[in-house]
Amino acid sequence: MSIEYVSTICPYCSCGCGIDLVVEDGRIIGQEPWKEHPVNQGANCPKGNNAYGFLYSEDRLKMPLVRKNGTLKETSWDEALDLIASKLKKASPEDFGFIASCRNSNEDAYVMQKFTRVVMGTNNIEYCGRLCHSPAAAALIPAMGSGAMQTSQPEIELADCIFLAGVNIVETFPLIARRIFRAKAKGAKVIYTDPRKTATARHLSDIHLQLRSGTDAALINAMMSIIMAEGLEDKEFIASRTAGIDELSSFLSKVDLKQAEEITGLPLGKIKEAAITYAKAERGCILYDQGMSQHYVGTDNVRNHANLALFCGHAGKPGSGINSMRGQINGEGSGDMGCLCVFYPGFKRVSEETAKFFEEAWGVNNLPTKPGLTYIDMLYKLSYLYVVGGDPTMAVPDVNNVKKALEKVSLLVVQDIFPTEIAKLAHVVLPAATWVEREATHTWIDRRIQKINKVVEPPGEAKPDWWIICSLAEKMGYKNKFNFSSSGEIFEEIRNCIPQYKGITYDRLSHTVGGIHWPCPSEDHPGTPTMFLQKFNTPDGLGHFQVVEFKPPAELPDDKYPYVLTTGRSIFHYHTGTMTRRTPKLADEIQRGFVEVNFEDASKEGIQDKDIVTLETRRGSIETEAKVTDEVPPGLLFVPIHFSESLANVLTIPALDPSAKCAETKVCAARLKAKINRDRTENESKLEF
Amino acid sequence: MKGDMYLAQSSDDAILKKSEHGGVVTSLLKFALESKRVDAVLAIKARNGNRYDGIPVLITDPETVIETAGSLHCASPNIARFIKEYLNGAFDMKIAVVCKPCDARGIIELVKRTQINMDNLTLIGLNCTGTLPSAPAKRMFHEEFEVNPSDVIREDLEEGKLTITLKDGTEKQKDLDELEQKGYGRRENCRRCDINIPIMADIACGKWGTDGKKATFIEVCSEKGSDFIEKAIEAEYIKVEKPDSRAIESRKKRNEEEILLARKWQEKDFASLREMSTEEKFSYWLGEFSRCIKCYGCRNACPICYCKDCILEADRGIVAPGEIPPDVIFPMIRSVHVMDSCVNCGQCEDVCPMDLPLARLILMLNRELGNIFKNEPGMDVNAPIPLKSVTDKELTVADVEIQF
Repeated sequence: MSIEYVSTICPYCSCGCGIDLVVEDGRIIGQEPWKEHPVNQGANCPKGNNAYGFLYSEDRLKMPLVRKNGTLKETSWDEALDLIASKLKKASPEDFGFIASCRNSNEDAYVMQKFTRVVMGTNNIEYCGRLCHSPAAAALIPAMGSGAMQTSQPEIELADCIFLAGVNIVETFPLIARRIFRAKAKGAKVIYTDPRKTATARHLSDIHLQLRSGTDAALINAMMSIIMAEGLEDKEFIASRTAGIDELSSFLSKVDLKQAEEITGLPLGKIKEAAITYAKAERGCILYDQGMSQHYVGTDNVRNHANLALFCGHAGKPGSGINSMRGQINGEGSGDMGCLCVFYPGFKRVSEETAKFFEEAWGVNNLPTKPGLTYIDMLYKLSYLYVVGGDPTMAVPDVNNVKKALEKVSLLVVQDIFPTEIAKLAHVVLPAATWVEREATHTWIDRRIQKINKVVEPPGEAKPDWWIICSLAEKMGYKNKFNFSSSGEIFEEIRNCIPQYKGITYDRLSHTVGGIHWPCPSEDHPGTPTMFLQKFNTPDGLGHFQVVEFKPPAELPDDKYPYVLTTGRSIFHYHTGTMTRRTPKLADEIQRGFVEVNFEDASKEGIQDKDIVTLETRRGSIETEAKVTDEVPPGLLFVPIHFSESLANVLTIPALDPSAKCAETKVCAARLKAKINRDRTENESKLEF
Repeated sequence: MKGDMYLAQSSDDAILKKSEHGGVVTSLLKFALESKRVDAVLAIKARNGNRYDGIPVLITDPETVIETAGSLHCASPNIARFIKEYLNGAFDMKIAVVCKPCDARGIIELVKRTQINMDNLTLIGLNCTGTLPSAPAKRMFHEEFEVNPSDVIREDLEEGKLTITLKDGTEKQKDLDELEQKGYGRRENCRRCDINIPIMADIACGKWGTDGKKATFIEVCSEKGSDFIEKAIEAEYIKVEKPDSRAIESRKKRNEEEILLARKWQEKDFASLREMSTEEKFSYWLGEFSRCIKCYGCRNACPICYCKDCILEADRGIVAPGEIPPDVIFPMIRSVHVMDSCVNCGQCEDVCPMDLPLARLILMLNRELGNIFKNEPGMDVNAPIPLKSVTDKELTVADVEIQF
C-alpha cells in the first residue's frame, strides 16, 4: 500500500488556497489541510473542503464523442480530431470562434489563443472573463494601467477601511473574508454595497448600503461630492499622482445629493457616513465584483470606483487600491494569456504592431490585426465554434436565444470534463483532464502564479486541454508551431512573450509555496505583491480621473413586470454547477434553484415559503421554489445562477456594456406568480424537480 | 518494566549524526520494522526537505526511516485522524506510531470509540512543549528574528525561549512570552497544554534529563513499551544507561515548570471568557459563531468526532441545509459532542477559515467537566467516556452546571 499526501491548490474561486490530497495507489481517497500555504494556512471553505468531490463522478467524459445520426457516439481521438480538422479547413477566419475558460490553465489558454490566431487567422478568441470582469480592463487600463488586482491577499489585513463594492465576499471569497474579519478585529471599518442583506451584510459589514440595483455610479458621485465638500480628498496625492481633477471637480460640484438619495434609495446620512469613513482611512481598500461589473454600465461603475480611490489617495499602497476580484481559478491567467478578442498575450492590444511582434515571436506570417468578435456576438454570428470548459447555454443572458443560435451552427466542438448542457448541442465532444490530472500553472486573484502538479491519471482517454489543441493543430498542418511535448515547454514560450511572466519558471514555482505575483521581470525578482507603488502603468505614469454620469439600468420594472430581478452565487456552489452539483456534500446543502422573495411581496402574491412559482421576463420563464425572506427588500427578486433546471439566464437581459460587452445580468424586470402551493398539494413527491 | 527510565543512544552512527539528540526514536522505528514487530511505521517527515511542511508518512522500508529523523516544530499533522481515516484504524496492520502527547491522546479516545485497534499499535511518544503554526512561524522568523525562514535548520522551545539555529551555525533566541503577546509563537492550544510527557503512550522519549548529552531520555509507560525497549536493547539498536537521580529530578522539574506556564495560559484564556456576564457571553459567542461558514473543517479534523453519519450533515434534518451562518445549534452540538473528551490537539482551530476560538471553548468546557467526572481524556484507554457512562445516580446530582 502506498499512501501519500500530495499538495495542490483548490480548483474553485481564485483565492488559490492550498490543500493536501491523500493519494492511495493512484487514487485520491481524502484531503487534509496544507498548513504551510500562505493564502489559507490550512483552512478551507465548504467548496475547498470538498475540492475533489466531483473527480470520480460516474459521468466523467472518458472518450471523444462524435454525433452520428443525432446521437453522440464514442470514437477515437484520431477520428474526432480528423473530423474537426476537415470541417475547420472549410471555415473562413471570420466564421470561426474559440471560447476558452477561466478554468483552463495558463498553458491551455495560451495554446488556444495561439491556435485561433495562427491556425485559424482570427482574433475571435474569448473566454468567460468577458461575462464577469471585462469592465476591469476597459475602465482600469485608462485609469491606472492595469485591470488586475492591485494589492495582494495578505495585505488586505493592513487596510483600515474596506469597501466591498457589490461583492458578497463571505460567500464568494471566504478566505479573503477571513482577512477582512482580521482587519476588522484591529479596528477597520467595512462598507458594503449590495441590494441584498446577505451574510456579508449581516455579519461582516459595518455600513451596509442597501442601494437599488444598478445605481452604484450615482452613489459614488454623491460620496465624492460629500468628500469634496468636507475637504477630505487627498490633495497631495491628486496633485502628484493623478490627472483630470479639474473636470471631476467641476462635475462633482454639480452633483445633486437629494437626487442621489432618490436614485439609490439610500438616506443621505448613510451615504455621508460611508463617504467620510472611506475618505478618512489611512488605507482604503476597494474590493469589487460582479455586483458592479455585470451591468450595461459596468465599465462606468468601475471607472467611478477608480475615481473614488484616486480622489482619496487610496492606491499604490499595500492593502489599498481598487481591486477586481476574479472569481475563478484562472480568471486572471486566461486574460493574461490573450484569450480576449482585443488583446494578444500580455494585454498587448490587437494592432498591426502587436501582430508584427507575435509574427516574429512565433515565426509566422499574417497574424490578424483587427479585433475579433466578443463572446456573446460570437455565439450569434459564427458558424464554427469551439467551446472549452464553459457553458454558454447557462452562463450567458437570454439562453433561449443562445440555444436557438447554436442549433444552427455548422460545427460546435465542446471540450469539457462532464457532459454539460451545451454538450447536448455539440457535434463533437472531447474529454478533458481535470486540474490534478495534468501539470500546469494558473494565475489567481492577486496575480499569484502557482503550479499544480499531476496527481492522478485522467480517466479513459481524457487528455490535458493543451494536448488536445496541439494535436488538432497538427491535424491542421501546424505541427511545427505547436510542437510541445509538455506544459513546461509551453510555459517557456509564455514567459518569452509576456514580460510580466518573464522571471517565473517551473523550477522557481516548485520551490515557492504560495507562488509568485506578476509582474516578475527577471529570475532574481521576488515578484510584485502590490502594484503602482511608485507610479501607475499609464503612459504618463499618472492615475486618470474619468467623469461618470449615472445611467439607469437598461430595463426597469413597469406595470407588466413589476419586480427587479437580480442574480448571484451561493457559497456551496460554483457557477454553472458542473463540479459542485456532482459533489455530494455540496449538493446536499442546496439541491435545487430558488428565488428569494420578500415577505411583503410574497403575501401580496399569495406565495408561501417553498411554494413553486413561475418567474417571467420578456425573454422567458422558469419555475422554481420560493424562498420567502427579508434577505431581499420588497420589489427585488434574487435567483442563484447554478441550476440548469431553473436557470437564471433564461430570464436575464442581454443588454451589453458598450465598452466591455459585459451583460447586465444583475438587473432586469420580472414578474412572479404562484404555480403550486406546497401546503395545498396533496402529494409533494409528484412534483417534478 | 513500566516505569523504567533510560538514557539512551542509537547504535547507528548515521542515525546519530542526523538526529538532534540520541537518535533513539529513529533507531526504534528501524528495529520495529527489521524485527517484524510491525508492518509499518508512521512518522512525520519534512516534505521535500522543507521543515515547515511536515506530513505523515507510512514507511515499510527500514532504510528510509532515517528520512524522519530530527524534530519538526512547525508541523502539526493530524495523526489520530490519519490512522482512523486512511489506515483503517490499524485493524489490519501492526504500526509503530511516533506521536506527540495530543496525538497519543486522540488515538486513545478513538480506541475507546472502537475506531482504532490499540493491539496493533506501538505508540512512541515524544515530549512536547508546543508546536508553531507553520505559515505564521515563517513570517515570525522573517519579521521578528530577521532571518530567511529557509535558513533555519532547527528550532528549540526551552525555558520560555524560542531558539533557532541557522544553516551557518549561528543561533538566535527570543523570549517566547514576548513573541506570543505579539500573536506569534506557539499554536494557542499548545500554550495551554499541560501534558508535555506522553506517559499515555507505550514509551515517552525526550531530551529533558539528558543534561546536554547526545542522548534521549526514555520512560517506559506500558508493558508493551517495556517489551519493545528490552528487545531493542537486546538487538543492540540502542545503547542505554540508567539515569541518575539528578537527571530524573531535572526532567521532573522541567516538566513542572512547563505545566505551571500552561496553567497560567489556561487561567488567562479562560478567565476572560468566564468573567463575562451571561448577556456578554451570549453576545460574544453568538458573534463568534455568526462567522461560521459551515465548512465542516472542525468536525472533519476532530479526532474525537467519528460518527460515520454525523448528525450535523445537511441531509440529517437537524441543521437547516444551505444556510450560512448555520443555526447556532451547529457549533453547540459540536461542542457538546466532543467536550467530554477534548484532547486539546487544536486541529479544529487550525483549520477554521473564520478563526473561531474553538479549541479554547472546548478545552474550557472540558476542564469544567473534567472536574466533575474526575476525568482526563486520552490518558487511559480503560477510562470510560464521561457523557456516555453517566450513571442514574449521577444524573440525580443537583446543581451541576456547565458554564459556557
